[in-house]
Amino acid sequence: MSRVSYSCTMQEGQVADDVRAKLADGLRQVTADVLGEAPDDVPVDFSDIPTGFGFRGGEPSTTSLVRGSIVGGVTQDVREDLMRRICDMWMEISGCTVDELVVSARDT
Amino acid sequence: MPYYRCVVPRDSVPYDQRAEVARAFTDIHCGSTGAPRSFVHVVFDEHDDRWDTPYFLDGGNRAGRPEELKAQLLNDLMSAFREITGVSSDEFSGRITEGPASWTMEGGMVLPEPGEETAEWYEHDLQSQAAAGG
Repeated sequence: MSRVSYSCTMQEGQVADDVRAKLADGLRQVTADVLGEAPDDVPVDFSDIPTGFGFRGGEPSTTSLVRGSIVGGVTQDVREDLMRRICDMWMEISGCTVDELVVSARDT
Repeated sequence: MPYYRCVVPRDSVPYDQRAEVARAFTDIHCGSTGAPRSFVHVVFDEHDDRWDTPYFLDGGNRAGRPEELKAQLLNDLMSAFREITGVSSDEFSGRITEGPASWTMEGGMVLPEPGEETAEWYEHDLQSQAAAGG
């Protein structure tokens, strides 16, 4: 059982199913690289916000949110390394811009 | 952050009202805190089951603001929601929970603590709005 899990929320129609599988693999690989977790043990789930139900800055949103939970916590340096690598991976695979992604890594 | 999730009964709040609530929440949050507009997220989550109240505001903000400001912010947000949707006070409840700013990266930058925002942070917001055509 991994001490890290991810919940990813995306705007409906923004990220195709085959891309999600690559993003999940990417999250697991980044987590393995940064935290040493076994990739296959890292849970990743995806959910969609239906069109017309998500807003950012008062306008319809195209932003994806990646929420990581880390049991036991990590240092801030490690957290920032993890979040930055997730950002880079997510933008490369999904094609989104840096302004269309929010990443968090919470201690639990 | 901030992230405001409005939990509402299915098919109860039409798109025009959702958009108006989103704009109002953005105006209120930025007016109260000085945060950049592009950092304000508002989502609507429809449900079939009844919670303690049929309508619920679940907000998440950066920690570190004064209690008075937080209470006023929640009050103003809930007032706006009720005014726009016509939902009564006894049908609507809400809360704002907080977490360390340093746990979130947005726009490629770790969020600053409230009161420690730099000019670069606001400049990034302006660039984001320009890129979005806003």
